[in-house]
Amino acid sequence: MSSERLRVAVVGLGKMGIVHSCVLNVLPNVEIVAVCEKSGMIRRFAKKIFKGVSILDDVSKLADLDLDAAFVTTPIPSHFAVTKALYANNVVRNVFVEKTLADNSEQASELTELARKSEGVNMVGYLRRFYVTFRKARELLLQKAIGVPSSFEGYAYSADFCDGRGVTDVLVSRGGILRDLGCYAIDLSLWFFGDIHLSDEETCVHNGASDSIAFEVKGPGGLVGRLEVSPYMPDYRMPEVGFLVKGSEGEIVVNDDRVELKPADGKGSTWYRHDLNDSVPFCLGLPEYYREDLLFIESVIGQCRAEPDFDMAAKVDDIICRIEQGGRDD
Amino acid sequence: MTDRTEKLLLVGDNPFHNISHLSQDRTKLRDRSVVDPSCAAGLVMTSLDNGANGFMFSVSETTLSILERIRDAGRIEDMSLLAIVPYAYEYVRLAAQTGGIVGLAKVFSKRLASSGRFKAIAVGAGGLLRANPTSLLEAYLSYEIGRTRSSAGKHAKIKSMLLHEVIVDMALALNLEWLFRAYIDFMIKQKFTPGFNTCNFAYLVDKFRNWDIDLTRMIVAAPFNKIGFQMNPSRDESERALRSLDGPFLIAISILGAGYLRLDEAVQYVASLPNLKGTAVGISKEKHAEETFRFLMSKFG
Repeated sequence: MSSERLRVAVVGLGKMGIVHSCVLNVLPNVEIVAVCEKSGMIRRFAKKIFKGVSILDDVSKLADLDLDAAFVTTPIPSHFAVTKALYANNVVRNVFVEKTLADNSEQASELTELARKSEGVNMVGYLRRFYVTFRKARELLLQKAIGVPSSFEGYAYSADFCDGRGVTDVLVSRGGILRDLGCYAIDLSLWFFGDIHLSDEETCVHNGASDSIAFEVKGPGGLVGRLEVSPYMPDYRMPEVGFLVKGSEGEIVVNDDRVELKPADGKGSTWYRHDLNDSVPFCLGLPEYYREDLLFIESVIGQCRAEPDFDMAAKVDDIICRIEQGGRDD
Repeated sequence: MTDRTEKLLLVGDNPFHNISHLSQDRTKLRDRSVVDPSCAAGLVMTSLDNGANGFMFSVSETTLSILERIRDAGRIEDMSLLAIVPYAYEYVRLAAQTGGIVGLAKVFSKRLASSGRFKAIAVGAGGLLRANPTSLLEAYLSYEIGRTRSSAGKHAKIKSMLLHEVIVDMALALNLEWLFRAYIDFMIKQKFTPGFNTCNFAYLVDKFRNWDIDLTRMIVAAPFNKIGFQMNPSRDESERALRSLDGPFLIAISILGAGYLRLDEAVQYVASLPNLKGTAVGISKEKHAEETFRFLMSKFG
């Protein structure tokens, strides 16, 4: 590293850019040296708020800053161009990209290859891997607490567009409902079960942005799964992802708030966030942001692999692409 | 400034927004009438009858409607009002629907422009032109104060307009001492007690000490509960920070750990805390309102 404190840039100062900037700013071994943002209005305010930080309008201007790492938090459709520019211009070797990695599988593959050549650390912001409930569920699965998983049902629901406002333009600008919300359920499925792939799908397309979607997947050892994604669920005031996993020796029910183990032959257990040591040194909105950024920064310092990396995230993009193309791959 | 002897027993508004921090599943099982402003106002008034002396709420259309009903029932003078701004959920959702921060700014500008609050409009426009965050903050606070006063009426005792945790914790992370000072100055000018809602109580206490800002004359609403839920970095550190000051400034929230704890064990813990100014508890049924505030009254009244 170039100094004791990592020199970090944040590209894109929307909601996620602000969240990551704040969390990075409280990490003791990080110095935010630059913020890059296209909107002139946001840049003008950023100059008042980020004292001593370079506020720039183009990623190419980051090249002379001797950066150790960059966070790409622009809207999904621009992840590819921004991240490619960072690698291609040798701006930085260690890159964190907010989910999803790219807007299609070809772009994701290209970024994965660029990241490999850079020999740096790379990571994609699949935040739900840092929820204590999903971590507990994965731990239970690895311990074979329900034996061998045979099937699962998952969902990613929100009420974001229940009132119909902004459905088309905004959903498209956010990469569609699969990239905006469904990617979490897909990523967790890959994390829980390994190499899943699409087996069937039903989609309803609404002016280019996927509407509510349900699709089936297959996994190792005959595992079958079904995932549903919808931003029109009025009961989901907060976006939520959840799973019911059935195994040879019981079931696991998990969502953002709790995990429940139901062994076939014994007494069940339920854990809430309260039971799973959910506190962090600094919490902004959700404790997971701290855990996520800390993992990436520690991986950069130690030059070790961070998960989920580009390679794993590219699999999510690949599944989303196949759903959008309306095809099955077996 | 804050009355340093008064103990505030506040009705919290989470159930009125159908929020549960234990589990979203719980909200689906709840009686939906609780989100109806008339029903919610009835619950607040039942709580007042049983020992509550205030209402702590995020400023939203729902809570403003509740205030109007309490005002119309002639009970608004019976309690202290502690408002929290902004209602983060609404603004985050609006940002999601309008394409981000720039879209959100446009929506808010329209709202401010159509509010008829000319001073706030002028201050806000000036803030935008000069990219002055302090002016924008003042314009925003003026807007929220104005609509809260409109709904609560001239007899309402609005004690504080607390800054929501999203703003407070962001400003803490970015070391925005000037923003805290601007807010405090503006609140004092408006004859409100400055107040802060945070998920990082210990961090806030340490920062304010470094900045030489006297928290004991303000209000801090932060999670304090027996199981350390939402207490960052830990229950021990939060308690240490609380003990390090001298004066009643803490409003303990999430005392039930979002329903994880029994009322008696929750209150036993909170009652042991130093520097307690009060506590807020959400209620969703008449029976809860009666039992909860009778019990709190017996411990704190």
